[in-house]
Amino acid sequence: MTLFLQFVLTGLVTGCFLILATIGFSFTRRVEGFLNIAHAELLGVSAFVTWGCNKLLGWHILPSAAVGIIVTAFAGLAIGRIVYDPIRRFGPSVMLITSVGVAYVIGGTIDALIGTGIRTLDIPLATSYRFWGLRITDYQLLVVALAIVSSASLALFLNRTSTGLAIRAMSANPELAASRGIDVRKTSRATWLISSGLAGVAGVMLGVIATLSTDIAFHQILQILAVAILAGLGSLYAVIVSGLIVGVAMDVSVFWIPAGYRPLVAFAVVILVLLFRPQGIAGSAAGK
Amino acid sequence: MIQSLILSTLMFGAMFSVLTVSLNLQYARGGMINFGTVAYFAAGAYAYAIFTQEPPSGLDQYAFGFDMPWWAGFLAAGAAAMLFALITGWPTLRLRGEYLALTTFAFAEVFHSILLNERRIGNGSVGMANVERPDPAAIGLGDTLGYTLAACALMLLTAWLFHRLLASPYGRLVDATRDDEIAAESVGKDTARVRLQIFVISAIPIGFAGALYAMITTLVAPALFSAEVTFFVWIALALGGERTILGAILGTMALVFFQELVRVIPFETVRGAQIAASAEEVITGILFILVLRWQPWDRLSRKAGS
Repeated sequence: MTLFLQFVLTGLVTGCFLILATIGFSFTRRVEGFLNIAHAELLGVSAFVTWGCNKLLGWHILPSAAVGIIVTAFAGLAIGRIVYDPIRRFGPSVMLITSVGVAYVIGGTIDALIGTGIRTLDIPLATSYRFWGLRITDYQLLVVALAIVSSASLALFLNRTSTGLAIRAMSANPELAASRGIDVRKTSRATWLISSGLAGVAGVMLGVIATLSTDIAFHQILQILAVAILAGLGSLYAVIVSGLIVGVAMDVSVFWIPAGYRPLVAFAVVILVLLFRPQGIAGSAAGK
Repeated sequence: MIQSLILSTLMFGAMFSVLTVSLNLQYARGGMINFGTVAYFAAGAYAYAIFTQEPPSGLDQYAFGFDMPWWAGFLAAGAAAMLFALITGWPTLRLRGEYLALTTFAFAEVFHSILLNERRIGNGSVGMANVERPDPAAIGLGDTLGYTLAACALMLLTAWLFHRLLASPYGRLVDATRDDEIAAESVGKDTARVRLQIFVISAIPIGFAGALYAMITTLVAPALFSAEVTFFVWIALALGGERTILGAILGTMALVFFQELVRVIPFETVRGAQIAASAEEVITGILFILVLRWQPWDRLSRKAGS
């Protein structure tokens, strides 16, 4: 029973990481209106920039992480401006397919610069805490805390600040928002910085809780997609619930079936949900 | 060397063209985004290997090997892809656009994961080696030349059949289903059925191509059937310009030629080869972005039309 609860706890941590990874993706989908497959590659960018500062330049982890997140945020903004803005008029399908090309470019660049092999950050070993026989490490607690802080501050930002309200207006009705005097370029800049910055945070956490290899980003996109579909594309608050569901489902499944099936469990959940509720947990419009 | 470059481009180009042409039918004519193309390809390859492989012995972990002649395996490959398309298409085709793309992608990943983890199908991650294949020497051809001709034949047959199909009244029904579903239904057409038919019909040649791929490489392993194959085919389709069969074929040939060209460059070190592979990936991605951005083929055809 303790073992089972341990799996549930680990699953909750995995779920919190998935929330961090997915919330920027869903934010892009909500505001920019397309699925950015290259979002996961941004996690890789952040993780390896952090690794480079930390390991190659010998910096402390905190400034390294800050540099990683900022570089990723601006990389995302640059990609948005150079690649996605000019093709907006072709519609979401073309943007979705283009983002596969972007993923190729980023993935190939990382491959060429870093090479194969497994990398780890230069940080103290995790300290493990025990509660009622359950173990959790301080880094895992950090993931949980960051997931809570990120989603709460994103919610506050969208509901309380004028830029946040402008972003919501843009995502609901771009023409009306523009005609009411909202600065389209400014809101779009904020959107890209926020969504890529969130990918940056997730990327750093990936480096902290896992080992890094160059194909890591691609594995993340599968789970990000699973969580995003389950939540209903574009909804933000449901990402929290669906991230936890997918995380717990994946880790608890290890209790009964071989661990190799973890990704399969994520998608099995997604397929089941799509068959019975095509709009996801929170979606209202029929899947179209 | 140039001869072998041309032959391998033709061989793999023709084989992947079968996938692109089928995808073209699904996307450009049927309006369905299938991001799980590789699953039908893998289903064909595995079906072929299982039907022709000898019964398991020694270290083999796979459960079935029927030791049948190659043509039986080839037919089984088409049937397996068709069956898989029926199973995956029936529940998912009522989804539209990106939801369909994501669900087919999910199915492909699930299938890949099963092939990787369930050793009783095809030895898990090791795969099945030494796949049986007909020897082209029996009709007096070299190995590569024989399979190049076979791939070209399969490609031409697929292109011709799809061309005939779409030029028929049924083709106009398909176009009507894509352009205006409500109008098509109001004149009594069962659009859900048409979409499923197109989905299943276009999966069959993909299965055959999978069997051919298993014959050429004489190996089936999960690593050969990753999502990269799907992306590759989509890039080829975008390169060639959607909506025409000839464009799909030319786009695939161009992309395969580019990859084969990188492959023939000799490398001194492992690192050098690795950088070249990454550079190939980056250039493919940039090409893809540029083609979608400026859509040169559409512009050319518009110019030719006016």
